[in-house]
Amino acid sequence: MSSAKTIPWPAVPIPTPEEVYAGLSDQAKDYPLYLESICRQSHAFEKPEALARLRVYDTTTRMMIGHWCSSLLAELGAEVIQVEPPGGDPMRKLTPFGRKEYMFTDKESGEPVGAHFLHEMRNKLSVTLNLETEEGREIFKKMAVHTDVIIENDPPGHRDSLGIGYRQLKEINPRLIYCWVGQLGQWGPHKDKPGMLDPTAQAACGFCHGTGDPKEFGGTPMRSALWMCDHVGGTQAAMGILTALYYREVVSGEGQFVEATSAEAVIRILDYSWAWYGMDGSIRPRFGNWDLAINIYAVNPCKDGYMMVGGGHDRLWYRIWRVVGDEYPKVEDDILGDPHLREVADRLAMNQQIKTYTMLGEWLKDNSRSDAERKLSKQQVASGGVLYVNEVAEYPHFKYRGHVAETESPHYGKILYGTTPFQQAKTPGRLKWMGRPTGYDNQDTYRRLLGLTSEDFARLQKANVI
Amino acid sequence: MLLTCPSCKTKNFLDPYPFWNFKGTTQCAGCKKIWRLETSNGACVSGPAEASGKADLLPGFAETQAYEGISGPGLTRPAPKAQKESICKPKAIKRNVRGNVIAGYPLTKNDLVGSLAKFMVAGAK
Amino acid sequence: MATDTAVSNAPQISFEEFCRKTFDPKGEFAKPEALKGIRVLSCTQYILGPSCASYLAELGAEVIKIEAPRRGEAMRHTTPFNEPFLYPLSKHVPERGTGLGFVGANCNEYFIAIDFHRPEGQNLVKKLAAKSDVFVENYRPGTFDRWTLGYRQLSAINPRLIYQWLGGFGGWGPGRVRASYDILGQSQGGNFGMTGKAEFMGGSPAKHTIWLADYWGGMMGAVQILAALYYREKISGEGTFMEYSQVHGVTRQLEYALPLYGRHGITRERWGTWDTQLCVHGIIKCGKSSYPNSENPQENEEGYILVSAYSDEDFARLCKTIGDGNFAAKYAKGDDRVKAQAQMEIYPALEKWAADKTKEDVADILDKANINNQPVWNSKEVATNPHWQQRGSVRWIDDPYYGDLLHQGPGYKLSATPPRTKWALKPVGADNEYILGKLAGLSPADIKRLEDQECI
Repeated sequence: MSSAKTIPWPAVPIPTPEEVYAGLSDQAKDYPLYLESICRQSHAFEKPEALARLRVYDTTTRMMIGHWCSSLLAELGAEVIQVEPPGGDPMRKLTPFGRKEYMFTDKESGEPVGAHFLHEMRNKLSVTLNLETEEGREIFKKMAVHTDVIIENDPPGHRDSLGIGYRQLKEINPRLIYCWVGQLGQWGPHKDKPGMLDPTAQAACGFCHGTGDPKEFGGTPMRSALWMCDHVGGTQAAMGILTALYYREVVSGEGQFVEATSAEAVIRILDYSWAWYGMDGSIRPRFGNWDLAINIYAVNPCKDGYMMVGGGHDRLWYRIWRVVGDEYPKVEDDILGDPHLREVADRLAMNQQIKTYTMLGEWLKDNSRSDAERKLSKQQVASGGVLYVNEVAEYPHFKYRGHVAETESPHYGKILYGTTPFQQAKTPGRLKWMGRPTGYDNQDTYRRLLGLTSEDFARLQKANVI
Repeated sequence: MLLTCPSCKTKNFLDPYPFWNFKGTTQCAGCKKIWRLETSNGACVSGPAEASGKADLLPGFAETQAYEGISGPGLTRPAPKAQKESICKPKAIKRNVRGNVIAGYPLTKNDLVGSLAKFMVAGAK
Repeated sequence: MATDTAVSNAPQISFEEFCRKTFDPKGEFAKPEALKGIRVLSCTQYILGPSCASYLAELGAEVIKIEAPRRGEAMRHTTPFNEPFLYPLSKHVPERGTGLGFVGANCNEYFIAIDFHRPEGQNLVKKLAAKSDVFVENYRPGTFDRWTLGYRQLSAINPRLIYQWLGGFGGWGPGRVRASYDILGQSQGGNFGMTGKAEFMGGSPAKHTIWLADYWGGMMGAVQILAALYYREKISGEGTFMEYSQVHGVTRQLEYALPLYGRHGITRERWGTWDTQLCVHGIIKCGKSSYPNSENPQENEEGYILVSAYSDEDFARLCKTIGDGNFAAKYAKGDDRVKAQAQMEIYPALEKWAADKTKEDVADILDKANINNQPVWNSKEVATNPHWQQRGSVRWIDDPYYGDLLHQGPGYKLSATPPRTKWALKPVGADNEYILGKLAGLSPADIKRLEDQECI
């Protein structure tokens, strides 16, 4: 990792509304200011929460999909209780390259937590419970009465074999919405095996094969840096849970079983891969940072990094070359004179894309990301540089809108984080806290839900049940 | 980088990613002369100078000054393909990969009932 | 409530069988639809807005897609290599087709056309909005407000309307005027710069091959809409306005990058196909192609496989399997082998071992040794794989307009109210008569007049 000294954030002050809308007519300011008045996060805590009545047990471990799902519900107001094995979810220990110094430490207990787990431990409570013990399972059954949603990701059938799966718990609580999440599924020839994690799903769904440079360009299949399939899978799981909630409240009065996998969530969005294969047997090739279906629509190197330029329409094509022509008239002439680039549809062939981006490169090599964006925006062409996280954190628009924010945790100190994108007028998403030490809420949660006493706690902790 | 061959004036497109910071030889797709050059951050900083031997990396594509495209094995690098042949024009597809009927080819107004192709109304398989 | 005895005495099928029956794609249509009776207007183009509405359409909402007359929206003209199209584009333009870029983002919907610029078109939209529950649009911020079709105007007509705007940079702030595309969202949101081969290996940032920011952004929009529907029904009786910025979504997804940067000033860098937090957990090259005689160049490639042996026991077993004694001792502990230097030694050694094998050979050997692995499957291998076929994740559908299409199934499963795929798409304006007759009271003569004027 490239390293720099710790700096306070923001390094550059966040613009004010006066600065942002300076010089605009009242008419031009009217709509954005109207949106600010109803959507700004600063208003969020004045407003109710959509899911305030919902309780969720997130009993997933070792993967991100369940934690992502419960984060979305928690941001929208659900009470999410993370049920972890004693000692905590093993994911707490993950840290880049094993570096302990990158972890965050709880001021009270000294317990370390990795930034990956921390970032998703938002608005959630933590209790510990050992589901591998009989007494732990009895406690879990009692807790099942009190919840709307349970999320789990144990190997397929494990909870069922322990008597605390969907089939058993729905008898105890018919209103229960029970959600299993995983990489490939609970059933089928390739169902999940213990220990499977993203990017298993990325490799299995076709994503990796289609990402990266073509073999002809010396490329290989590539994974997302992120456990991306888990994010998409967790979002589909949340969709399933909220659908089940809606249906229960409005129609049936009953819960149901939700299954969401990281792989299938991304299969759902692998755009045209399936229809294309089905029509004529085409197998989707890797195409690097260019696009199989749109030209100009690509990221290419530029003077100070990498630059995205987009404009599939005819109109935008000519505007892009007009900007290039300001500095390289011969390039614009060449492009405009080329009969093979005249029709929009003809620009898609690889040879034409090679020419397009080689010629665009003549201009990009002399323009930084901000220069290029400034010049192209004058022609209303969508463009922008590839930003690294330090740049994302300081980008004025993102700071102003609060895409990035800093929270202060009584446990972990100041944490820079990506905020909830659920910007709404009436029930906006929000962050209440980030991070929670393992089992921090044992006392409160078990007392109020199950009436456990001090004696119970002592005994259960000794027996490693809690 | 656009390499206009000093010898035959063929436009060789040295595409951005592999040629942005390049040091070595490439081959003109028009006259097959070998050229040694060095690029740094997309700009040519040395060459092109005549060289010999096998080219390190072929151009992505090339064309004549009259816009006639030049590509092929030994001349330019192969393009990624989804199938054996790629025509890059709308294909007329009547039967899909498992041999069933599909509305994958251009129609005329006479072929339609409302917005639906007549042969689809019949439910042909 | 069943007693323990009753439960344990009841004859039970195996859990896998239970799941197979419960989630059987063939059983979907026998079960009710969660969003029956909910009407959604989708005034959307490209992927971000349309996909949001399509997830609601899978759940049974009546989703009405509104496009520009005759030629439809831009995504209909987008298809890989300009080759595959579905015909007709519309009854007015049968010689052209809809490109496959449109597939997946518009399933199960009804298709009408309205020219939003004309007052008569705007009035039609208002009539429909008065009877709708959800309004989804992804035009530039303020556009619909100018057309008197924004939240301020429509909520006055229908206070129960849930209005979801989706777009790149949002409608307020310094960058509000910027147009956006999916990969611009990826570039500016931060996931692009950290994906791809590592810098020190000569790599560069790599885009996610799917329109991730848009398709997943649409899902996030749908999550908000579902929460808003629930909230309206249970508590408020009112609609709401919601904004979703797709760039914001990407920044939300950056995992440990922001906390790490904020606390230590460290910028997360690319690490290729390996993992920054676990080892062994990376994709390696297998030297042989699985289909060396195929005519399709995609199949002539050598294979790749994810090898996942990140626990100490699994790693020890992996070393034994590949016949390596060196690493087993040197990197017995997870903390040691996850270090950058260790990974740079271990993975090349694995690739050396796999150099004379196909990915299936490697999978076979690792399966027998009980080591998790996942071959990197191409789109054909996924499409024809019995696992996805049985589960309905990729499925053949009998599309009424276009025939036998291979299509993505819903991305998740529900036991009682499963989402389902009814059809892929329809030509532009195919449902003008049905929808505008039913909801706007237009007569066949009205419709003909308006179609001739290219108003609908």
